[in-house]
Amino acid sequence: MAIAVPKRRLFGRTKRPGSTREALVGYAFVFVPMAVFLLFFIYPIGYAVYISRYDWGILGPLENLGWKNYSHLWHDTLFRRAIKNTIEYTVWVVPAQMALGLLLAVVVNQRIKFRTFFRGAFYFPALASSAAITSIALYLLNINGLFNKVFGFHRAWFYDTQTALPAITALNAWTTSGTMMLFYLAALQAIPTDVYEAAAIDGAGPWRQFWKITFPLLKPGHFFVAVVSIIGAMKVFDQNYIVSRGTGGPDYATYSVVLYIYNTAIKDSALGLAAAAGVVLFIIIFLFTIVQWALFGRQEAN
Amino acid sequence: MRRASLVVLAVLVGVVAIAGAQARALLPDKASSVKKTTVTLTGWASSPAETAALRTTIAGFERSHPNFTVNYAPINGDYPAAMLAKFAARRPPDVFYVDSNVAPDWMSQGVLEPLDSLIKKNHYNVKPFFPRLLSAFKYKGHIYGLPKDWSPLAMETNNAMLAKAGVKPPKTWAQLRTAAQKLKDANAVPGGAPVCIDPDWARLLAFVYQNKGSFLNAKKTAPAVKSAAVRQAVQFYAGFQSAGLAGTHDKLGVGWCGEALGKEKAAIIFEGNWVVGYMSDTFPGVKYTISPLPKGKVNGNLGFTVSYSIGKNTSNKKAAWTLLSYLVGKQGMHLWTQQGIALPARKDVAVPKGRSAFLKQAGYAHPWQFAPRFSKVIDTANNELTAYFQGKESLDDMLNKIDSAARDALG
Repeated sequence: MAIAVPKRRLFGRTKRPGSTREALVGYAFVFVPMAVFLLFFIYPIGYAVYISRYDWGILGPLENLGWKNYSHLWHDTLFRRAIKNTIEYTVWVVPAQMALGLLLAVVVNQRIKFRTFFRGAFYFPALASSAAITSIALYLLNINGLFNKVFGFHRAWFYDTQTALPAITALNAWTTSGTMMLFYLAALQAIPTDVYEAAAIDGAGPWRQFWKITFPLLKPGHFFVAVVSIIGAMKVFDQNYIVSRGTGGPDYATYSVVLYIYNTAIKDSALGLAAAAGVVLFIIIFLFTIVQWALFGRQEAN
Repeated sequence: MRRASLVVLAVLVGVVAIAGAQARALLPDKASSVKKTTVTLTGWASSPAETAALRTTIAGFERSHPNFTVNYAPINGDYPAAMLAKFAARRPPDVFYVDSNVAPDWMSQGVLEPLDSLIKKNHYNVKPFFPRLLSAFKYKGHIYGLPKDWSPLAMETNNAMLAKAGVKPPKTWAQLRTAAQKLKDANAVPGGAPVCIDPDWARLLAFVYQNKGSFLNAKKTAPAVKSAAVRQAVQFYAGFQSAGLAGTHDKLGVGWCGEALGKEKAAIIFEGNWVVGYMSDTFPGVKYTISPLPKGKVNGNLGFTVSYSIGKNTSNKKAAWTLLSYLVGKQGMHLWTQQGIALPARKDVAVPKGRSAFLKQAGYAHPWQFAPRFSKVIDTANNELTAYFQGKESLDDMLNKIDSAARDALG
């Protein structure tokens, strides 16, 4: 995994004969993905910003609104609620995903029997479709569902204003933990074993080794996992859509920003407003990433 | 090394060329076949039975119109999203379904072809259509679709439970309330509730209409939810829940009220024609009766209807009209509705057996439809209603918030 490779080895190289040719070959390899990236990512982002300044219908622009779509969003209570829900969800789900992912990674990084089986088993929820998992969870967390039967509750978890979003949070923390485990596993294996040997000689136990060696040395891993996790969390949509059948209920509890974008674009065919909401979401994610980079990433580069 | 790869390449090219020639030989010779016009048809498919019924109808069309071939390609999944992409690409199918709910958006955005001139040119008689259903597909004086079928809401009651409580299917609001109380007192619905109702305006609004209320004013220019008529209707509807006479689908542990009837978790539900096929497929053992909705001050109901429409950018509008006019015509609609999938939208097509309770509602059903760009207002209305149901909000706050959301959307 790229994040685990010390950066000096990549960039600190001095020029040597034949390096121009090597660079050309490198650019040739990069060209195709870069062209795809420009065409399918950068160009649509720019176009979305352009659309966001119009009242844009199904067949194209209806009226140039300037920044009115953005001021509409600012005053829209539904959009504000969506932002609040999405941030609340992110604040809970990201630490949960990271902690669970790290725990699983540490477990499957041990020399234990059936290690490959555990790796596969822990990764499995990430492979299943989120729609399928949510549909099954709807049954399990039903008022007469297995969860209530086993734990003695009497609650319709997805339809209660208090528990609808936490239920989705827990569900998603579990399904994405496998992917986070994979990232952490790659980062764990990049930690040289000699530091552990030295620590063992100095008499550090496994607990101390984890907190004094593993955890700090995983810093690039933490950064990467946190960024991926936050971006994923801010885009939460499918579970909310399935649970509430697109209404974001009960009492707006599951109304997320992407659900707002979906309903605005697809159901209201107000594509300009939807694009503006998308741009706002992009800016929020971008700001989060910069803050994280300032917290974790920059020191690593030094 | 290089030579070897050249040989491989040459072999590959040869294989591809031979395969291409073979494939061409297998294709039918274009010149020898009869020239047929192909019309594309799209809709959603809610059940295999629905697809089968439509294929039967299409076969009927192809029999009576031998020069036409129908290319029926239903969209599985998100129909509005898929259609949006087709409209935006200026390549809509020739004929397609339009739900009354999405019709204001599509009509106002000019993606549907006005049918007026085609109707006039072909001397097509639109009088047999129920006027309320046809009105769902009119916008600024033009017709953008002809209703293919519809369903109002009705009341479904569990026979055994009502018998146990000694009540008949209620005919008025007062009788409904009494019946629910008697069902509760007789403990006729063990582990459930006498009535299944949800915080859903697609049910509540029927009761609002019965109380002479409405969501929007007649011209659809302003909301009308803050009226006394609406307040009373909401209080009556939600009152079943607060009095412990009704449960919402989630409290009853089912996916929707139809399932509550099937699993005998509720004795009285308010659903449409779609419940009939569901019950006979999934819960054939449960005996129930379909009656008209109980009457309030007046009769009132909601009509869920779907039209066949033609795209503004459809390439062959003449052929599209030929198919459309057959499908919504007397013969086509008979073929489509006789298996009980849906109710005919024309007066001159007989209702399938056992569905007459639905038909009686045709005169006072209002289409489930609002104004362009209104879907988020309905989401808001349902979320507010949920808050009111859960006791988190007062009736006034709820209606005020819905009113202001509606005003924003109407501009």
